[in-house]
Amino acid sequence: MVEVFAVASGKGGTGKTTSTVALGMALAERYDVTVVDADTGMANLLFHAGLSEVETTLHDVLADSAAVADATYDRFGMTVVPCGTSLEGFRDADPSRLREVVATLAADTDVILLDSPPALDSRAAVLPVVIADRAVVVLQPTIPAISDGLKVQEYATSYGTDVAGILFNKVREDGIESVAEKTERYFDGPTLEAVPESERAREARRAGRPLLAHAPDCEAAAAYRRAADSLSVRDGPSDDVADRFRSAVIPEPP
Amino acid sequence: MRLPQGRLLKSRVVSDPREPLAEMLDRRVTGYAVFEPQDSLLLDADGRGVVTFTDGVPVVAYHTGSDRGGPPALADLAVPGPYHVSIFELDAADLAPVHDVEELCVPPGMPAERLAGDPALADSTRRAAPAGRPTAAGAESADDHGAVEAFLEDEEKISAIREQARQEAKQRAAEWGLNDT
Repeated sequence: MVEVFAVASGKGGTGKTTSTVALGMALAERYDVTVVDADTGMANLLFHAGLSEVETTLHDVLADSAAVADATYDRFGMTVVPCGTSLEGFRDADPSRLREVVATLAADTDVILLDSPPALDSRAAVLPVVIADRAVVVLQPTIPAISDGLKVQEYATSYGTDVAGILFNKVREDGIESVAEKTERYFDGPTLEAVPESERAREARRAGRPLLAHAPDCEAAAAYRRAADSLSVRDGPSDDVADRFRSAVIPEPP
Repeated sequence: MRLPQGRLLKSRVVSDPREPLAEMLDRRVTGYAVFEPQDSLLLDADGRGVVTFTDGVPVVAYHTGSDRGGPPALADLAVPGPYHVSIFELDAADLAPVHDVEELCVPPGMPAERLAGDPALADSTRRAAPAGRPTAAGAESADDHGAVEAFLEDEEKISAIREQARQEAKQRAAEWGLNDT
């Protein structure tokens, strides 16, 4: 079985990478999990997973100069595929090869999380959402974050990708329940959790470690674990897993 | 809401409301900003949003299209597209009559936090707010989600945002060759 999730938000700064890594670590207690930095233009997952010094990254795979296996690293109970941060690496990478990368990884894992770019303005930016089976939309309780999250949902569903749920992140005040309830009405998936803003998350990022490794007992870490628990992973068709992602195209309108 | 004409400081198109809010705070402007959506495709694009400021800190909000004031006016002026923004300077004495109308008031950090989605700018704005206005994050928490909730209650606007995104997604899928790779 394998299910691919795009962890997406229309807007930057929602804590998407922190969320991807935290959900990955929490899901890794039940599943074999692979996290991929699919934000090839503004990669930062490597800084969250202590991989800033590694030589081979997704950029090399997308440039067809390395095999997928060479860019995978076992860290914190997960398989991590970081992306490089150099301009040259970005320039030489062919983002459309991401399908092939996901297809290869899919043969050997239960859950793939794609940390997606916080934009919808290019083919490369939307590709993770196109490839994924479902999207987790990361929101903050602000008008632009919710508007942009709605746009992500509409792109996702237009491209045949379901919404697994919404995750409020960096929540600073009380009263989120009412906002979450009203927001949920417009989304195809439930509210997975509201994760409080956390100084621990900032510390973890500075230390180059995932939040769940750095401060496993903090409130935000507990919230991410609850979010992961409420995410039921579906069994994708297992006979032609690789083909499913290689051929992921936008369905024709009915 | 009626205001005397102020002295125009700046007029330009911005992609989101953060920029003028930050500028008002940086320059400690007393006056008002008029937000006019450039995207008439959205239903609520009729009308203009007005936010007044004392020393760069937002005081009241009003929307001419919906005739609503306070946090709901911030929701009314929120659109995904670019805005034409004009910033005017006006004497505190001329602003006083509208600043006394409680229903029009917004918490100091709310426009930056909820309309612009910038918590850091919201914190700086709260710090710059004078004593006597709710300043601590906790002090304004009771109504802090007001603008967001008003936005979420506007089903027509949200339908318009979703419909526009769907059309954009389809159009771009064709442009990007996503249908046939």
